[in-house]
Amino acid sequence: MTKEAVQLPLPGFDQDFAQWRADYSKQIGADRRIVNRSGIEIKSLYTPRDLDGSAYETDLGFPGQYPYTRGIYPTMHRGHTWSQRQLIGLGTPEDYNARVRQILAAGATAISFLPCNSGFRGVDCDEVDPLLLGTCGTVSNTVDDMDVALDGVPLGEISTAMNDPSPFTLLAFTLGVAKRRGIAWDRISGTSNQSDYISHFIANHMFYRLSLPGSRRVLTDHVAFCLERLPNWNPISVVGQHMQQAGATPAETVGFTLSTALQYAEDCVTRGIDIDVLLRRFTFFFDISISFFEEIAKFRAARRIWARLARERLGAKNPNSWRFKFHGQTSGVDLTRQQPLNNIARVATQAMAGILSGLQSMHTDAYDEAVATPTEETARIALGTQNILREEAHLCDVIDPLAGSYYVETLTDQMDAEILSVIAKIDAAGGMYKAAESGLVQTMIGESARRYQEKIERGEEKVVGVNCYQFDDEEGARKPTERPDLERMKAHIERFKAFKESRSRSAVDSALAALARAAHDKEDNIFARVVEAAGVGVTHGEIVACLRKELGFGRPLIVA
Amino acid sequence: MKSPRLDPPARVLVTKIGLDGHDRGSRIVAAFLRDAGMDVIYTPPWQSIAGVVKLATEEDVDTIGVSSLATDHLIVPQLVEALREAGLGHVGVVVGGVVPVDEQPALIASGVSAIFGPGASRDDIVEHVAALAAQSRAARDAELREWTP
Amino acid sequence: MGVPSLSPEIPPALADLVDRLRRGDAAALSRCLSLVEQGGSHADAIGRLADPATGHAAVVGFSGPPGAGKSTLIDAYITHVRAYGRSVAVAAVDPSSPISGGSVLGDRVRMQRHTEDPGVFIRSIASRGHLGGLSENIHRVVDLMDASGRDVIVIETVGAGQSEVEIAEVADVCVVVNAPNLGDDVQAMKAGILEIADVLVVNKADLPLASRTADQLRAMLALRAEQRDVPVIETVATSGAGVDALAAAVDARGGLSAMQKRANRLRRVRRLIAQSAARQIRDRILALDTPQSDALLQAALRGHCGIAESVERFLRLLV
Repeated sequence: MTKEAVQLPLPGFDQDFAQWRADYSKQIGADRRIVNRSGIEIKSLYTPRDLDGSAYETDLGFPGQYPYTRGIYPTMHRGHTWSQRQLIGLGTPEDYNARVRQILAAGATAISFLPCNSGFRGVDCDEVDPLLLGTCGTVSNTVDDMDVALDGVPLGEISTAMNDPSPFTLLAFTLGVAKRRGIAWDRISGTSNQSDYISHFIANHMFYRLSLPGSRRVLTDHVAFCLERLPNWNPISVVGQHMQQAGATPAETVGFTLSTALQYAEDCVTRGIDIDVLLRRFTFFFDISISFFEEIAKFRAARRIWARLARERLGAKNPNSWRFKFHGQTSGVDLTRQQPLNNIARVATQAMAGILSGLQSMHTDAYDEAVATPTEETARIALGTQNILREEAHLCDVIDPLAGSYYVETLTDQMDAEILSVIAKIDAAGGMYKAAESGLVQTMIGESARRYQEKIERGEEKVVGVNCYQFDDEEGARKPTERPDLERMKAHIERFKAFKESRSRSAVDSALAALARAAHDKEDNIFARVVEAAGVGVTHGEIVACLRKELGFGRPLIVA
Repeated sequence: MKSPRLDPPARVLVTKIGLDGHDRGSRIVAAFLRDAGMDVIYTPPWQSIAGVVKLATEEDVDTIGVSSLATDHLIVPQLVEALREAGLGHVGVVVGGVVPVDEQPALIASGVSAIFGPGASRDDIVEHVAALAAQSRAARDAELREWTP
Repeated sequence: MGVPSLSPEIPPALADLVDRLRRGDAAALSRCLSLVEQGGSHADAIGRLADPATGHAAVVGFSGPPGAGKSTLIDAYITHVRAYGRSVAVAAVDPSSPISGGSVLGDRVRMQRHTEDPGVFIRSIASRGHLGGLSENIHRVVDLMDASGRDVIVIETVGAGQSEVEIAEVADVCVVVNAPNLGDDVQAMKAGILEIADVLVVNKADLPLASRTADQLRAMLALRAEQRDVPVIETVATSGAGVDALAAAVDARGGLSAMQKRANRLRRVRRLIAQSAARQIRDRILALDTPQSDALLQAALRGHCGIAESVERFLRLLV
């Protein structure tokens, strides 16, 4: 990538630069070659020579103006701070409810629901050893469960993100609750946070429930349903998190994620959905690693590239369609088990990068997130980090404050080029669906992961407390790990079983039969049948089992 | 002290039981054990305890490595017990992943030979697995010697 | 190595082990498979004891290039076979790393439907650098699985090197599984595959090129001088489509009489001996260091004696 160097008519610039170079070389001693996670070489100094100021209008633009590099809205955080959307999930629905009330009181402005691993697995609470339930998420298998979990939560007013892959039963349960409470569905706002089945197939096998073609069909039906009946719901969240956590570099992550977005857009357009109606409801979900400047450059480049793809490649006409809206989660992969309090500093750094990148909503990890579900105290600290950065560090006062930095702009352009080259590779493979199916993406990610692992093992990439500044673990001082109360969980399972007995068996059977038929009828909408089934008491496990039978069990491709 | 390489190579099962599905760590470990000259039988996550016992029997494994994030380690003692009941008590079991410090002693007491956290060195893991495999092999060779008048 | 030699008397514990194997005990079969891999006199004794119980199983070999979906197809085939109440044993062979000698044996990953079915026994085997892609002991492995009373024995191997030919030596029916190819690749397909395949499969038949690939295979079969009735079957392993037809084709070709099976086994044993002989002779020639061997080498070097004749001379020296 060549860029016209700005010929500054600054007198003395060249001599002073040469002088600096000479002094630097003399004093630095043994210098090191620094390459960031995306493979881009980082210099020790950037100067006006690195920046082409004339590209402002075409490559940067003002906030809220195409190509949105500086921000998707004119006001950004100064007008409307990011949503503080902390993930919560543990124990029984009652446990979730207690925690969600606390978190709303502590300043969270939106909520997120994380289901139990048994839910991700696609089974109900009575199909699993009770010891394993509710430890990483909340057990929620029916509309009743969701009603308890969201008791006292103003559903029509607050945005709820459901971390639920295909076939999106948690949303179905939420809609059931809304119906019970007389809340019109067009007031329900939030996001299907884990609708990106391709990212699960590639990099988060735990969330992958139905076969690839089955997932494709259910997602498209889900999008069609939501765009029509839930105008305030984002049915697609394209997720970069899993891939980055699996080892994809930040640039690769954006390349793959945008390629996935293109794939979903194509699938929906083929279905007859209008591109502008679709894209205004697209959101993205990314990890924010501790590679501070790299993350900021990554998101700025992503905004620019997405705007261009949406307008030029997908032909969207409405500016709303060109806006790259994203939720960032501080990356748990950078946290350590050793000296866990250090993680507070790590999360603060990652959160700063997220804020300076202009994200729309953020979750900050608790410092013990590497080891267990956060306690009340650690969850409060995590939220406090966001509050401090906003209120005390005044990070929201200036929009895109790092713009114009010789380093940040150069890095943004370099990340842009890397990302485009990844998108080109995926295009050459026939698009993201085919690339994932063939294992190409998994292989690329595996290689990046291996390289990074080797850097850590060689000590080239330093992790405090792990391969440097080690200290005899004071972990013994930790409080005993909190676990959900086993007796209460067993009681919950008993109530669940009793619930199943008390349902109208004929209503359940006929809803499941309709769901099974829909799987083979392209004119029918599978998600609409899921919502109906949930409404008559069909459970999560029953819905998933039915669709697995009709559409195929999701078996990810294991690439060694 | 390094354990000698076994011939035929050590047969090691790398698996995940319980609910967690994150398999990146277990794939990395399977690759280093292979690079150390072992035959690694690899399964996807969500194996049942009965399934693991069946596999360990059919494959005549020398050692089992269970990868556990989240809370799956809580059912590892059940696995160890099931292995013993099936006559596979000579097969060493190690757990890799994240196990809270306060829950580690119970795991070791149930018969798990070692727990490797996320910072564990590749060499330590390989050496321990090799040592367990050598012990298991030695126990079986001793049995053979008993058969020889 | 710690494995002692046996006296000609077979110890009761070993006889008992093989008895249990013959009664279908999975742990006994597994133990015997390990002992046979270790080699030595225990392996030979086990072979002797198991022999009378062999000759009943249908041995089906699946080979084909990586990515064709063999393991997934075998999984579907097993499901089909089990539905008829027949028991199955699978020998899944994967290549060993030429650098470390170790391996990752991942074929079970694609056979997850059978993890708790006692009627399906799966054993993962490393090829250990064996050129054919199968393991050296594959004949013994098959015999033991046969002796344990399994109705169907499936051998799976990666179609690299000469493994298609080797699998023909071991299996009663050879199934070669292909993915739909671009036109040219079919032409470049090794001629050997057409010689040994009893059933050809084009998997991933839901892809657009599948029926064209199947047609091309049929055309190539028709051109051959020796006409054997080799069906070309299209399957979609992930959904099970075509597996019925595959199973029927396998049964049709595997319905060998006891005499034919015995003949196959004799062929296998001959091959085993020949391979072993080749290895032994090679080792001995390499190790031979006498004045006579030296003289033979000098003569060969100076061209006074051709290679074929040198071989004859060496063999005489070794006897």
